[in-house]
Amino acid sequence: MSPLKVLIADDHDVVRKGLKMLIEEHAGWQVCGEARSGREAVEKCSQLNPDVIVIDVSMPDLNGLEATRQIRKACPRTEVLVITHHDSDEMAAEVMDAGARGYVLKSDSDTDLVRAVEALSHHKPFFTSRVTEMFLFNRGSRVTDPAEMMRNRLTMREREILQLLAEGKTAKEVATILGIAIKTSDTHRTNIMRKLDVHSVAELVRYAIRNKVVEP
Amino acid sequence: MCRAGLMSSTRVLLADDHPFVRRGLRTILEATDHYAVCGEAADGRQTLELAARLTPDILILDISMPPPNGLEVAAQLRLSHPKTRILLITMHDSEEMLRAAAATGASGYLLKSDAEELLMVALQRVEQGQFFVSPAFDEALAEQLFG
Repeated sequence: MSPLKVLIADDHDVVRKGLKMLIEEHAGWQVCGEARSGREAVEKCSQLNPDVIVIDVSMPDLNGLEATRQIRKACPRTEVLVITHHDSDEMAAEVMDAGARGYVLKSDSDTDLVRAVEALSHHKPFFTSRVTEMFLFNRGSRVTDPAEMMRNRLTMREREILQLLAEGKTAKEVATILGIAIKTSDTHRTNIMRKLDVHSVAELVRYAIRNKVVEP
Repeated sequence: MCRAGLMSSTRVLLADDHPFVRRGLRTILEATDHYAVCGEAADGRQTLELAARLTPDILILDISMPPPNGLEVAAQLRLSHPKTRILLITMHDSEEMLRAAAATGASGYLLKSDAEELLMVALQRVEQGQFFVSPAFDEALAEQLFG
């Protein structure tokens, strides 16, 4: 039987090292590659076609949630397991919305991670009991914040650009990174600001931090 | 939990609430003959308890942990177990946090983003009674706060 191929994406070397050890201790599992940013994760997923990707939410360049959306589109066979230190019901909902089938908190145990990879390798969803409880318990009463509704109206491309702008990139730099025309990048920025009803880059950054698109 | 080490090995206690981080640190340390991991703690209370029981040579201590946090733990241990040297490890790269860390009496401040590359250097310095601060910070400031 061919080994289960796992890709690891986290911007911290020491976390990748820990994850790699955990996964490779398991017979028949192999870490086929590592990524330090969401963008690298998307690229490596297309190249290596892993069975499972273990991906951190807070990463530079393209966060784990946006990367998950792109991976689900480009490599539908790859199952996505999100790891995060944010334990909120909003995060659990966002993770599922992005198309991940598993969600493990960084404070969950080693065993939870192994069980999650195992479940995903059989194309079954996995959420730790803490997450499930949090999610089921809060879901009914989840108040939808108007800003959140607005955010949902941003397209995938716009959310991607929102993060780059919030990280301090200019429209020109965004254009270079994404390989699009400066004019297109400018139009996206204008649309994002209109949709979010923000009028300066500072406001845009505040919005992005509040909604965990980027870390403060 | 305690690994039998050589007589000469330096005993290190790991304190971080993220098991993957602990695993990563442990892997780096166990690749050397010099350091032996004598225990792992997942929150502040457990860290205080294990530090008192195991009296490690060095404590690698995460700042953001379930209470008491790493800074409180460091301040307390500096008083009760002054022989244990403390290397704080964190993702906070603010000067404010660095100052707060220095005030606890810890010997080192290592950013998690530098952990794999600089952990050995940081441990060596701390072990020799010197200080270590991640290079992202101004050298003069580091010297002034920790030197």
